Amino acid sequence: MYRKKKLTALVVGLLFVFAVITGCGGGGQDTAGGDEVIKIGFLGAKTGTHAAYGVPTLKGMQMAVEDINAAGGLLGKQVVIIEDDHRSQSSEGATVTQKLITKGVVAIVGDPTTGITKIAGEIAQSAGVVLLSAGAVGEGVVEIGDYIYRNTLLDKLAAPVVTKYLKEELGWEKVALVTSTNNDYSVGLSKLFRNSLAEHGMEIVTEQSIQDGDQSFSAQVTAMSGKQFDGIIFTGYYTEGALFMKEVRAQGLDHVMVGGDGLLAPALWELGGDAVEGSMVYTGFEADPEGATGKTLDFIKRYQEKYGELPDMFAAQGYDAVMLIADAIAAAGSDDPAEFKETLKQTADWQGVSGTITFGPDREPIKSPVYLLEVKDGGWTIKAVIPVDL
Amino acid sequence: MDLQTLLQQMINGITLGSTYALIALGYTMVYGIIKLINFAHGDVYMIGAFVGLAMVVMGANIWLAIFVAMIACLCVAVTIERVAYRPLRGSIRLAPLISSIGVSIFLQTLMTLMKGPQPVGFPKVITNTIYTVGLVKISTVQIVILVVAAVLMIGLQLIIKRTKMGKAMRATSEDLHTASLMGINVNAVISFTFALGAVLAAAGGVLVGMYFNSVFPLMGVMAGLKAFCAAVVGGIGSVPGAVLGGLFLGVAEVLGVAMGLGSYRDAIAFGLLILVLLFRPSGLLGQPEQRKV
Amino acid sequence: MSMLDDFLRQFINPYYIQVLMLLGIYLIAALGLHLITGVTGQLSFGHAAFMSVGAYGAALINLHLDLPFLICLLAGGLLAALAGVFVGFPSMRLAGDYLGIATLGFGEILRVVFMNLEITGGARGLAGIPRETSLLTIYVLVILTIFALHRLQNSRFGRALVAIREDEIAAECMGIKSLWYKVGAFAIGSFFAGIAGGLYAHLLQYLNPGDFGFARSFELLCFVVLGGLGSIPGTVLGTTILTLAPEVLRFSSEYRMMMYGLLMVIMMIFRPRGLLGGVDLMRLVKRVLGSRRRGTATPAG
Repeated sequence: MYRKKKLTALVVGLLFVFAVITGCGGGGQDTAGGDEVIKIGFLGAKTGTHAAYGVPTLKGMQMAVEDINAAGGLLGKQVVIIEDDHRSQSSEGATVTQKLITKGVVAIVGDPTTGITKIAGEIAQSAGVVLLSAGAVGEGVVEIGDYIYRNTLLDKLAAPVVTKYLKEELGWEKVALVTSTNNDYSVGLSKLFRNSLAEHGMEIVTEQSIQDGDQSFSAQVTAMSGKQFDGIIFTGYYTEGALFMKEVRAQGLDHVMVGGDGLLAPALWELGGDAVEGSMVYTGFEADPEGATGKTLDFIKRYQEKYGELPDMFAAQGYDAVMLIADAIAAAGSDDPAEFKETLKQTADWQGVSGTITFGPDREPIKSPVYLLEVKDGGWTIKAVIPVDL
Repeated sequence: MDLQTLLQQMINGITLGSTYALIALGYTMVYGIIKLINFAHGDVYMIGAFVGLAMVVMGANIWLAIFVAMIACLCVAVTIERVAYRPLRGSIRLAPLISSIGVSIFLQTLMTLMKGPQPVGFPKVITNTIYTVGLVKISTVQIVILVVAAVLMIGLQLIIKRTKMGKAMRATSEDLHTASLMGINVNAVISFTFALGAVLAAAGGVLVGMYFNSVFPLMGVMAGLKAFCAAVVGGIGSVPGAVLGGLFLGVAEVLGVAMGLGSYRDAIAFGLLILVLLFRPSGLLGQPEQRKV
Repeated sequence: MSMLDDFLRQFINPYYIQVLMLLGIYLIAALGLHLITGVTGQLSFGHAAFMSVGAYGAALINLHLDLPFLICLLAGGLLAALAGVFVGFPSMRLAGDYLGIATLGFGEILRVVFMNLEITGGARGLAGIPRETSLLTIYVLVILTIFALHRLQNSRFGRALVAIREDEIAAECMGIKSLWYKVGAFAIGSFFAGIAGGLYAHLLQYLNPGDFGFARSFELLCFVVLGGLGSIPGTVLGTTILTLAPEVLRFSSEYRMMMYGLLMVIMMIFRPRGLLGGVDLMRLVKRVLGSRRRGTATPAG
């Protein structure tokens, strides 16, 4: 009797393995038949810690694809998005990239983070598929190879001009610098700010470390509160930025925060409320629905209608990423990555919704001008338009 | 660091620590009775925060929100125990542990699907005034957290020491088999323990949501792990130990950050845990375990 | 060796190759944990940390010293073993869940340290690691690992480990120096985790401390327990099912991880001792063969 039970379990186990194998077989069928449609892959997280960046990227991409197909498609074909979730894990990032490539995508948009972009970049480069990251800002991304691009605002261009603005226009001399130490974007941006602050003769009176996922910032804010400074430079993402400012106000400080486009999401004031009023964010994306013009304004309005929320930076860059690829394919007259990667490289003064993009000689994106946005009454207003001088 | 900053940081630490303590109590009670590290407990806390948030959004005041969250978490925790742990009682020790990890993954994904991955802000439910008491400043929210935590912990202590059910709980944690031979309905006691733990975690979830102003599906992961450390530091199985451990951990973390070790914040909690384990393996207030031949 | 991989790519979908390579890496790591938890009965919640030591060790040695890949891999494994000894000695005073908790703490501390070190690239991670890992290397190592562990389990050393698992005090009375054996098992288990880490680093070409958090440690523990504690075929089966399940469940898109969680609970409830827990495969095979032989013999006689 007992032995029978064991055997049953074994059979069940083996059946499962069999199901696994056949299940895999089913997944690979669509490799062929890539002729009627052009496939663009989405690489990002729909679950896990990075889901908040992956989900809006995908929403932006979906909107772009709808726009393209409504206008008659690309090279006479419909465009489809092939999507999958890597639950914010590097190892699954590699698997998903490989899977997208097997499914016959000509280009991949993603990953929103620098880390997984580097993993995926190596795979895409060796497979000869274009990868355009709509979020990676760290170093060593486009260096992977000539199939790898990104459409983000590069902090190494923006941070110095913003620092100059803070000193010359706002008269800041002393600042507090807050870094999220488990966030590669934040660590990199803080490094850039340290350099540019030193160049402009500004002083960092206190540096505080936080971590992504932290909820309690009372210790850091109390430690800052004894110091004299003109403002806070916060290099992390919007969630922690909003909560950090909440704590700053709760402890009775009245400083404002300045940060990069990691702060650019409506969640900033949704979480931060009054505490983030007056906070400033620099970006290439004219996110102010009142001040925005042309394409960007149209995008913000339609996005809001479609999803019932304001687009954040990831959504805008996801939209642009698909459009950049589509324009390159149209210009090349071919959906062969080896050909349209060349036209993509020549993109210059391209009007996107997240800013005006030119790919430099090193294939790095140059977005000019930089918009300095300010939070006012729970919304963005453009405080300054700063050209990037090269 | 001057005295004023130090005292201020102590207040910060105690507030943080009392939220750890509220979660830690659930770990410690369950472990005390069925020797299970219930990894889904942090997610019960997360669900408590979401239910509380939903109530507040619907216009309830904070007390009603806490109450409803408590009831909801009670149901969730008792169901989890019934479905995922009870069938595994009496099998190898690791079986319910793995099951609890499965439940934890399930709940996290479920909430991500239902509520989205983005943190959600908590509407203002209490007008937050900052009082200056002597050298330190303390806010209304902090006072509410400290008072609610204290009341709940005293209530818990009374239940365990003064009621018949409490007596049954103590007997069961001493020896489950003997207790059942003495006519104690062990299953009821275990369900009750899970319910108590969940009620405290729910309160913790709503209070933390209100204090830190954000609620998200993965909020139970680190909080749960740290609270679990607190339970071990205090002596797992000991109720006053969990409270002490929570406060100790909260204060140590805050002081560590204040001294500029912010990037090592998580390491502080775990470093403390290892130190305590090495020098007092049964925790600060735990009973040393005897190895029987 | 990568030529063989290129050859295989002609016939097998590269996506499957990728999945199979990750599976092989997890197999090696899980088999290491099998020795610690399954055979010796010592709970470890920090196995991923030893993987990270091996991964960073092998990658850094490769990047800075430019030694042959297999040497880097071996060095990574040895570093992980050293870390195992370092963690093992103080921790072995603790028993049961307390040991597990201490290893969890060590693992998290190590992750935070890697997050803050300059040489590991900190939070920005370590990029630019050459791709050296191939399907062949991984599976040759998987087979070697299984062979080594099988031999080890049936040696004097292995029997001592089992004795410690069954009853430590009785084992001590029989003259087994349990501390020495436990630390030994910990070091060997960590060595395999380190090898797996080295392979992982040279497969993904990028490392981030976040990859080796407690979640991964628990994942490895689930592989071992769900397969059946103390059984090598069980560990292999458990790892295979739980590694492939998220891939197979992709059809359910958003509900994928919910189903994965449910699957874990259900499998545990129906097989509380693990899929192959308490099943001796060799004996089972012999018995099935034996009864068949008897069955065919009867009508003839």
